[in-house]
Amino acid sequence: MGPARRLSALEQDVWAVFRQATKHDPHVYVGDVHASDPEMALLLAKEQYARRDPCVNLWVVRYSQIFATDYGDADMFRPATDRSFRFGGSHRDQQRVYREAGRRRDDEE
Amino acid sequence: MGAALREWLLRAADDELIIGHRHSEWTGFGPDIESDVALSSIAQEEIGHARLFYEMVCRVDGAGDPDRLAFGRPPGEFRHAVLVERPNADWGTSLLRLFLYEHFDRARLEVAAQSTYRPLADLAGALRREEKYHLLFGEAWVRRLGAATEESGERMRAALAAVWPDAMDLVEGTEADALLAQSGALPQTPEALRRAWTEGVAVVLAESRLPVPEVAPAAEGLRGRRGQHTVDLDALLGEMTSVRRLDPQARW
Repeated sequence: MGPARRLSALEQDVWAVFRQATKHDPHVYVGDVHASDPEMALLLAKEQYARRDPCVNLWVVRYSQIFATDYGDADMFRPATDRSFRFGGSHRDQQRVYREAGRRRDDEE
Repeated sequence: MGAALREWLLRAADDELIIGHRHSEWTGFGPDIESDVALSSIAQEEIGHARLFYEMVCRVDGAGDPDRLAFGRPPGEFRHAVLVERPNADWGTSLLRLFLYEHFDRARLEVAAQSTYRPLADLAGALRREEKYHLLFGEAWVRRLGAATEESGERMRAALAAVWPDAMDLVEGTEADALLAQSGALPQTPEALRRAWTEGVAVVLAESRLPVPEVAPAAEGLRGRRGQHTVDLDALLGEMTSVRRLDPQARW
């Protein structure tokens, strides 16, 4: 994975697009666009990924700037022993936090 | 006053319908899938805007059918600028036309937003949201193609020389404009609109290494605003109205 190369205006690179539905949502990966530069990538992303779904903000990231794990290592994400204690769902405080976050979002939409 | 306003609305409606139709001809043929989708989407929006303006014409008339205005008139009744009826050539030419048109449309909607005819002022405010993207898209392509490579620059300069005389037709006025300006219904003269448009596009064109050609305005003497059009419009209307003509009474 080399450093980002500067392309001429007619060469294209692949960009990952992240859409944010409301100001309080995280940016979520929604797909890719081909474009020569960030401005064009954002312009094209708007029509490909924000035409139907709500959107207040878009990010584009050049693929060469994304660093990824190897699919060959996928088994490292699989626990060997029971880790259900890591899901805080049974804690009363955790449930309260989830509930309030949901309510806040409903109010804002 | 009603007749002058009607003429102004028809111009806007016809501009949007005809350029929308030309943009739609790119669907499936764009240089890449993303740009194809984006221009197709812009085409849909322009035709949608045309519908809103035709509805307003019917409102001014007190009767009428927007579909009939769009599909049932002879070429001589259309009031769009000759620029928008020209066939597409290469992608650069279409995007250059889009850019020149959107700059004009922005200036026009700014005036319309100040109209004393309240429905028009409200509509102009809403349309400006979508038109903003159209202009950004056109300008981005013009800047890139103008300055990218020697070949792209050459082709864009040739495109500009080809479309520029027709582009002047956008800002041609008629007696209706003076009436509308006097009454305050649309507080701007064609001269002021022409100045705002020329200055606006000249900046971007210069930065894109596309000097404005020295061509006499409306060299061919065509006046789309007066219903004078080319055979290109006959061909366009023939195609655009072909389905409707199969059965004009059909309900859609």
